[in-house]
Amino acid sequence: MSLVALAEHVEQWPLAIAIAESRYAFPLIEGAHLIGLSVAVGLLFITDLRLTGVVLKRIPAMHVLHQLRPWVLGGFAMIFITGGLLFLAEASMLVTSAVFAWKLLFIVLAGINAAYFEFVVAKRPVAQDDQAVLPAGMKFAALASLTLWTLVIVCGRLIPYLS
Amino acid sequence: MSIAEILTAIQDSAIAHAISKSNHMVAAGLQIVHVMGFIFLLAALVLISLRLLNLVMKNEPMSVVRRDANRFFHIGLVLTVLSGTLMFVATPKLYFYKFAFELKMLLFVGAIALQFALFRRIAAQESPHPVLARATVGVSLIVWFGIGLAGRMIGFT
Repeated sequence: MSLVALAEHVEQWPLAIAIAESRYAFPLIEGAHLIGLSVAVGLLFITDLRLTGVVLKRIPAMHVLHQLRPWVLGGFAMIFITGGLLFLAEASMLVTSAVFAWKLLFIVLAGINAAYFEFVVAKRPVAQDDQAVLPAGMKFAALASLTLWTLVIVCGRLIPYLS
Repeated sequence: MSIAEILTAIQDSAIAHAISKSNHMVAAGLQIVHVMGFIFLLAALVLISLRLLNLVMKNEPMSVVRRDANRFFHIGLVLTVLSGTLMFVATPKLYFYKFAFELKMLLFVGAIALQFALFRRIAAQESPHPVLARATVGVSLIVWFGIGLAGRMIGFT
């Protein structure tokens, strides 16, 4: 089965049809996607800007990271659920959209970057110190995170314009 | 001058022509700035709210969290208002008569009033009354989230 045929099959699911045909479901789920994005990526931006030493400099970086993490993850859960629902309703258009493919690629890269940060960079002994200026590896991972998530948002907003 | 005449005058202005006659990617660019601004604004609001409710960073002074979060909030507000105004100016008649747009603007005026009349004052205290803090955070977040939802509805109604 080709990807397009699979996507067309998905669009026939009762849930997909219900979302696509309802006047309010699609925009409301998109709104919830945006709110989840503001919480998850917004708080992640604040964490990244702390790691690069731009904001909240008087609070230890690892403290900011640990305190905001559950909220960031909760926001991401909301984004992935709402994103999945939106995908169902527009699957065949999205699988042929180049800008959607770019969005997925940037999400994967951001995920790899987060895993590298979590399991390699943050495990280094120097990262555990409460210092105002952090090691270069941390700053680099934070800048990569800021850049990649910005690209995800840009690609996401461009889907209706370029698909 | 009636509202229709004002809207026509805006739509015929040089800046409106410059935007509406430009490549459609200019409109897409404004949308991107609008979304990024909204994310900054809401993230700052959520951060202050979580701190106010003692859900995060409760050992850090409110003043430290508030100062940087407010900066974030202001950057977000300027980005959303500027990009939003330019989008409106380009096609005012398209937006003005839409219920979702009217609702969004009404909620926006309410949110700003609430932000400066109440939220700021509560956040300025090191230990505000917990019930008052919870109520302020709850109402503020509902109104700001409502703006996001109404905003997304504009393109579909």
